[in-house]
Amino acid sequence: MDQIPIPTMTTGGNPEALRAEVRAWLQQNVPQGWRAALTGTGQDAFVDAQRDWFQRLVKAGYATPHWSQEWPGGGRSLAEQKVIFEYVARAAAPRLILFFVALYHAACTVMEWGSEEQKRQHLPGILEGRVWCQGFSEPNAGSDLAAVRTRAERRGDRYVINGQKTWSTLAQFADRCLLLVRTDSSGAPQAGLTYLLLDMRSKGVSVRPIEQITGDDEFAEIFFDDVEVPVSDRVGEEGQGWAVAQSTLASERGLTLVELTQRMRYSLARIAGIMRERGVVDDPALRRDLGRLIPKVHAACALADRYLLKRIEGTEVAGDASIVKLNYARTLREFTLLGQRIAGLQGQYQEPFIRGGGMETGNWPFDFMNSYNWSIAGGSDEIQRNIIAERMLGMPREPKNWTLA
Amino acid sequence: MNPELIELRDSARQVLGESGLGASEHQTWPLVLDLGWLLVAVPEDLGGLGQGLAGACAFYTEFGRRVAGAPYVPAMLAIDAICAAGRADREDWLQRLTTRDYVTTPLADGELTLTSSRPGKPRLSGTAVAVPSADKASHVLVASSDGDCVALVPLRQGGVELRERPTWDRSRRLFDLRFTGLELERDMVLASGSAAQALCRRLATHRDFALAAGAVGGAEALLDLTVDYLKTRRQFGRPLALFQALKHRCADLKAQVAAAEALLQDALQRAGEALDGAAAGAAGREARLLACSAYAHVAEEALQLHGGIGMTAEHHCHLFLKRALLDQHLGRGGNRYDLDLADALLAGA
Ligand SMILES: Cc1cc2nc3c(=O)[nH]c(=O)nc-3n(C[C@H](O)[C@H](O)[C@H](O)COP(=O)(O)OP(=O)(O)OC[C@H]3O[C@@H](n4cnc5c(N)ncnc54)[C@H](O)[C@@H]3O)c2cc1C
Repeated sequence: MDQIPIPTMTTGGNPEALRAEVRAWLQQNVPQGWRAALTGTGQDAFVDAQRDWFQRLVKAGYATPHWSQEWPGGGRSLAEQKVIFEYVARAAAPRLILFFVALYHAACTVMEWGSEEQKRQHLPGILEGRVWCQGFSEPNAGSDLAAVRTRAERRGDRYVINGQKTWSTLAQFADRCLLLVRTDSSGAPQAGLTYLLLDMRSKGVSVRPIEQITGDDEFAEIFFDDVEVPVSDRVGEEGQGWAVAQSTLASERGLTLVELTQRMRYSLARIAGIMRERGVVDDPALRRDLGRLIPKVHAACALADRYLLKRIEGTEVAGDASIVKLNYARTLREFTLLGQRIAGLQGQYQEPFIRGGGMETGNWPFDFMNSYNWSIAGGSDEIQRNIIAERMLGMPREPKNWTLA
Repeated sequence: MNPELIELRDSARQVLGESGLGASEHQTWPLVLDLGWLLVAVPEDLGGLGQGLAGACAFYTEFGRRVAGAPYVPAMLAIDAICAAGRADREDWLQRLTTRDYVTTPLADGELTLTSSRPGKPRLSGTAVAVPSADKASHVLVASSDGDCVALVPLRQGGVELRERPTWDRSRRLFDLRFTGLELERDMVLASGSAAQALCRRLATHRDFALAAGAVGGAEALLDLTVDYLKTRRQFGRPLALFQALKHRCADLKAQVAAAEALLQDALQRAGEALDGAAAGAAGREARLLACSAYAHVAEEALQLHGGIGMTAEHHCHLFLKRALLDQHLGRGGNRYDLDLADALLAGA
């Protein structure tokens, strides 16, 4: 941590002053022409660009506003964090995808659950650009995450891991993995889980990128073959993994959707521009569809803003987060469907896609396919609906022990 | 919402709650007068509660929630116009219209033209549509279709013809008002020229917000009613609320209603004080479009989710449904909002 200069925070706790500062900084620092430079390129160019953008943000203190005070750039209020995300969105800057798990999931988990030793070991590395991935999902543990089967057997001061993770975003570039494993199968499924911080270079770890329907390979399978992990890399107690995993999943609650809804808001102007370019600006059906989408996009922003405000005020209730996410996923789907209608046949001719360009890149079939990230990952739409129905509307849960009739 | 407004709203919720769902105009209008609810948005220096449009919307939401029959919205719109027009005698008018006489205004756009036969004395011709409770009103606030004149017209005189137009919605009694060359006295004209244009924009925006807020209240209440019904109705040996197919539909409705409500509050903030401005106009149109669509959708689903009981006249479901159906045609009319929003975005692109 010593090597990293502490950015000068000229604006203290004042979101208004921060606005001007962030805007000016973005004007100078968003790489010119990055969209074109990352269109139709391979993963390497993307990784380089991400590292460069990450370093700039770290140096300015804008990568870690959510970290605690003693860290460079840390100690920002949620209101200030929102300012940063909003302006990044407005400037149509690259999204920080490669470091997302490190900055949010890993950092927040280690800060909340880690020992002092683990904090010293991992947090400075994150600022230096160490990449983390999340290894929760498995072929047979998706929505039902408690069904995780990857085994960790305790042998002295080590765990020995065997099994497989899947859908792990950018695992092929990761230095470390947030790993959820089973240490006990005797009791309730949640009770037998343990949480490890795995070194991805350990012997017996192999990663296989998965080719996605978009042609991208953003996620990967991870295989474990007698992988040894020191017990000192465990976070929380043995059997506490479920609780630790819950804080990982809650770590970025709110802010990401503030950023993404704002990006969607600014993309409305883009879609209008595309209608002009394509000469369909007078098409009454398209105009009507666009007009119906506009209030939905603004409502998605309002919901995300309100959710963050509730978090700031401590008035969040069960289901609030689900409404924001479900609403965003549905609105994004509609946005990309409209994009395709506007682009017409022309849009179906395959064009190279842009990496890290957000959810409304203008390559509409690509954007449409990518929109499923938000309706599937991080608790699918159906899981969010269950939560809203059960925890908000008070409708009964299904009985636990049903059998097929 | 400030604490004072929350208190006002809660007391309105309680009082309207006691009158039951779908209470008639006859039951609810005296409450409006007795409790001074017409003063909610009137500025403090004119003797009102100074809660502005946000305050008015909190009340519209409560009226919507109870499908209450009082013609509260048109009176509030007219009173707002009188306050905004800044006439010297407005305090007298306010006194009169918030305690005694009833003033109404159209909830949809009709066709009204002005012809000036004698200098300074315009004549009003045409039809004002969707004017609630005109038979008991002493005055109607109307604007000419070109927006050049806003006038407060006494109803009990020659040259005005009332025609009741019953709708499916029992919470509103709508009238057409036909004017045949009615001469407007100079002191009936609240604004003309550019001042009238601004006042018309203000009225249209306020009306959009009123429709949005009422729809949010109706949608919330109807969804609650429906979810409660599903929890108590048992079929196949279990409460219907256990079936995921139904839970998911309710969750989707909940998300839509929450979105409409969040947008309404956000739009109120964006609108600010300058209700005749373009930003306020766009904010109101968005809120109106999303809220009335969400309400109509909740109503459509609610009837299905209630099964046969929802088709009976004694059940409350249809009160909401019929109001939601009519709502979609009030304001500028259901077929303009989306296009207007697209026009504005494309004009800036
Ligand atoms: C782009 C992307 C990135 C991801 N990144 C990561 C990552 O970095 N790390 C990681 O660990 N995981 C990651 N995931 C995995 C993600 O968390 C899972 O895909 C998700 O939990 C859903 O699990 P599943 O794919 O097995 O689908 P399933 O759980 O098999 O679901 C299939 C369908 O059934 C529905 N369904 C499931 N349960 C219910 C229910 N109870 N009621 C009604 N319907 C139900 C689902 O909604 C879905 O429509 C990623 C996924 C995607 C798409």
